[in-house]
Amino acid sequence: MDKFKLTFKPDDKQIKVKKGENLLHAAVQAGIYIHSSCGGDGVCGRCKVIIKDGDFRTEPTGRISKGEKEKGYVLACLTSIQGNLTVEIPPESRLDLEEIPEEEAKFLRLKGLFTPPEEVELAKPHLRENVFEHSPLATKLYLKLPRPDFDDKVSDLERLYREIRKGRKISIMQTGLVNIKRLGSLLRESGWKITATLGKRNETTEVVIVEPGDTSKKNYGVAFDIGTTTITSQLVDLNSKKILGTKATYNKQAAFGDDVITRIIFAAEGGGLERLHHAVIDTMNSMIKDFVSEHKLNLNDINGVTCAGNTTMTHLLLRVNPVHIRREPYISTANFVPVIRAAEAGVKVSPRGLLYCVPGVSTYVGGDITAGVLACGINETDKLTLLVDVGTNGEIVAGNKEWMVSCSASAGPAFEGSGLSCGMRAQKGAIQVVDMDSDLNVKLETIGGLKPRGICGSGYVDLLARLFKNGIIARDGKISAKVRSPRIRKAGGKYEFVVVFKKDADADRDIVITEEDIENLKRSKGAVYSAIATLFKKIGLEPKELKKAYIAGGFGTSLNIENAITIGLLPDLDRKIYKFVGNTAIVGAHQILLSYEAMKKAEEAAKKITYIELSAESKYMDEYVSSLFFPHTDSTRFPSVNVK
Amino acid sequence: MALELLKERWSNAVNTVTIGATKEEGGTRTSIVKAGGETCLPFMLNEGGMPHKPVLAMEIFDIAPQDWPDILKEPFKDVYEDPAKWAKRCVDEHKAELLCLRLQGTHSDFGNRSADETAKVVKSVLDAVGVPLIILGTGDEEKDNIVLAKTSEVAKGERCLLGDATEKNYKTLTASCLADGHNIIGESPIDINIAKQVNILISDMGLGSERIVINPTIGALGYGMEYAYSIMERARLAALNGDKMLSMPFICFIGQEAWRAKEAKGPESEHREWGPESKRGPMWEFITAVSMLQAGADILIMRHPKALEETRKYINNLLGA
Repeated sequence: MDKFKLTFKPDDKQIKVKKGENLLHAAVQAGIYIHSSCGGDGVCGRCKVIIKDGDFRTEPTGRISKGEKEKGYVLACLTSIQGNLTVEIPPESRLDLEEIPEEEAKFLRLKGLFTPPEEVELAKPHLRENVFEHSPLATKLYLKLPRPDFDDKVSDLERLYREIRKGRKISIMQTGLVNIKRLGSLLRESGWKITATLGKRNETTEVVIVEPGDTSKKNYGVAFDIGTTTITSQLVDLNSKKILGTKATYNKQAAFGDDVITRIIFAAEGGGLERLHHAVIDTMNSMIKDFVSEHKLNLNDINGVTCAGNTTMTHLLLRVNPVHIRREPYISTANFVPVIRAAEAGVKVSPRGLLYCVPGVSTYVGGDITAGVLACGINETDKLTLLVDVGTNGEIVAGNKEWMVSCSASAGPAFEGSGLSCGMRAQKGAIQVVDMDSDLNVKLETIGGLKPRGICGSGYVDLLARLFKNGIIARDGKISAKVRSPRIRKAGGKYEFVVVFKKDADADRDIVITEEDIENLKRSKGAVYSAIATLFKKIGLEPKELKKAYIAGGFGTSLNIENAITIGLLPDLDRKIYKFVGNTAIVGAHQILLSYEAMKKAEEAAKKITYIELSAESKYMDEYVSSLFFPHTDSTRFPSVNVK
Repeated sequence: MALELLKERWSNAVNTVTIGATKEEGGTRTSIVKAGGETCLPFMLNEGGMPHKPVLAMEIFDIAPQDWPDILKEPFKDVYEDPAKWAKRCVDEHKAELLCLRLQGTHSDFGNRSADETAKVVKSVLDAVGVPLIILGTGDEEKDNIVLAKTSEVAKGERCLLGDATEKNYKTLTASCLADGHNIIGESPIDINIAKQVNILISDMGLGSERIVINPTIGALGYGMEYAYSIMERARLAALNGDKMLSMPFICFIGQEAWRAKEAKGPESEHREWGPESKRGPMWEFITAVSMLQAGADILIMRHPKALEETRKYINNLLGA
């Protein structure tokens, strides 16, 4: 088989590839990530690269303009390698997968439900810690076993079990052959002083590993929120319950498509599942590795991992083919996966460390939502409560301890700052609060108080509300040409509004919001609102009967509820019942890592939640289209917004 | 005890749109038409009233029709080269009370006629007949915005009905109607929400809601008519229950849709079992018209004189006139 040399500029990375290899796949192999929203179907046109030199074959596409074609542009996904090749990756095609610095992560994404960010930073325990009994996924016990003699002749293993059971109610215990083989010599060599790591595997307590001496102080776990776009993690001391560190990074699977559907399609291609699995595992492993080195731990001290992710993410993490999720009638392979050994899934922690994936409700309401329900305590309250998690998929749960219903709507990543001309995730320099007076003087607040670099979800919510209230955008979101202001201008046939001029920004151009951005945001907010409305119609209740509403998602560090109602993202209810809670998935994953009781409650909750398939609801499309207006086509639903 | 029928009570009426302006009103029309005004569901006269009969308009083109079957061209074959003569034929012989002029010739596929040339055609039709006019573009947004703006100016004061404004392209046409005193058609793709949104957008620009007509877009008999029916019924129920932004009369392009159907225009030579198209075609248009009347149509754009005649009889029968 011919092997060719493939060189990427400006990185100067070289790899050997087979003849006919797809250029997009080859780039990923070389560790170069390129935008590919459609997952390599040649549709989105985001994987543009420039061929500098060499033999290749490319399919014609309307996504490359004539001018670009002359400069050597091709779509990587439509190009195969036919000889030695040199390719330049233009900056706009490069997928920026840099890690989010820890300090940023701390005061942003990880703003927990009941814990202010500064407390997360100081690793203060969560307020809800006392709700659940402290019984972590992995427990370490330092034991001094009595030496055997003629009066006490039970076997080594029985002796170990007997000691573990002292003062503890443990009915079923087991351990692997690996441990049994080593047990005899280990006990004697250690002078009968050992540390046993116990793991809960459903009703069975497993002796995971036995170590000589006292290592009981070194017992750590990692909680993950595996999002379609972002992966967040916390290093937790399983003894003290303290959060020692937090990290957030992009999910490297983004190189294979922006949303779960494109990734599922990609998974069905040859080697696709393998690639997606490795992308997420690599991301998790590198986070764990960094935690270990930053906190001067040993990989063997990490004994438990919990993951909360949507159903597709959980499938890919476990390398289970998600292909049926996409096809009618949308069936996942498993929503409940028992505690398994982390190594089985490729997660590198202590070799016998445990991995638990928070159970999902259905194909489109995953473990991240179960974790959210747990974190918000919906499963334990009498009051009618709502949880809205606005992500690439918007998920909604309503109910109380007696009953819960959920649904999922494809909202798109707009409120995470993705797919918008000046959008960014909630990180330093992102505009997160916007105020504007009737003369269009704009007042901003950025995360970290830095010069603005872009706009994050909460900033967009404010911006839309202010533009709407000041009459700059009409009810369909189009910018009015009537208002004369240097901030309003036409670019490429469409209007845009300048939020920050270049001279005041940390960007190489003005920070604007375009009519196309507004259209995207309108679809996102419409999807979320119409899902809430449809769900309530289905259960025969009115949203005004709600006593509490939690809003979760990657908007920013806060969310102006008034403005979210003004644009029609959330129902027009008493503002006091709303609470913005940030990332609830990681909070739930963290609670489960620390408590077997929380794990059981999460499983009960997941079983209790009834899933409603919106695509099977005839009213949903109608609700959706009527929500594509500010605040809504039916303004009587938003009496406090005062539309004329 | 006598049986008493249960009667619905409605809180709101459909708006009345006036098309055409006489000399006294600043135009040159010799007659005007009023459409809408219902206070009940179609023909449920024991529950309310229909102060204005549904209006039947005949459709003419600014060029010879390209895709009309012979059976449809037949009644106009000596006049359709000249829009003014065609218009006169419709009014004089077929007693059309309203004409619908489609500016087909402005489309790049059909001659790409300029706005100035088109203005002359519009003027010639206005001069030839005294009935009010509906004037339509071709749906090519850019060209419509130029042509209809010019047309609107030429017909200033005549209180025409101009169309169609869509969700994506309503601003230019609305501005023209505001400036030149015309009414407007708001089009939506068989979608009650978009219909309402278009109406809100147009009235937010300052054009009164009594000057807007809804084109809900319809399908002919056998081609999704029931979807159009249910959307129109829902919108009308909302209107009668007080939704001001859905309280506009409906305009339905009956002829255009009916004559697309192969069952209407297919020649007998190819479909012997279907019988002669000279009867079948007009019948197809008539049945479509009748169904849309029952859905709440206020202005019906017809093509074949026979279908027009039968529909007129039907309306008169139901309204006892």
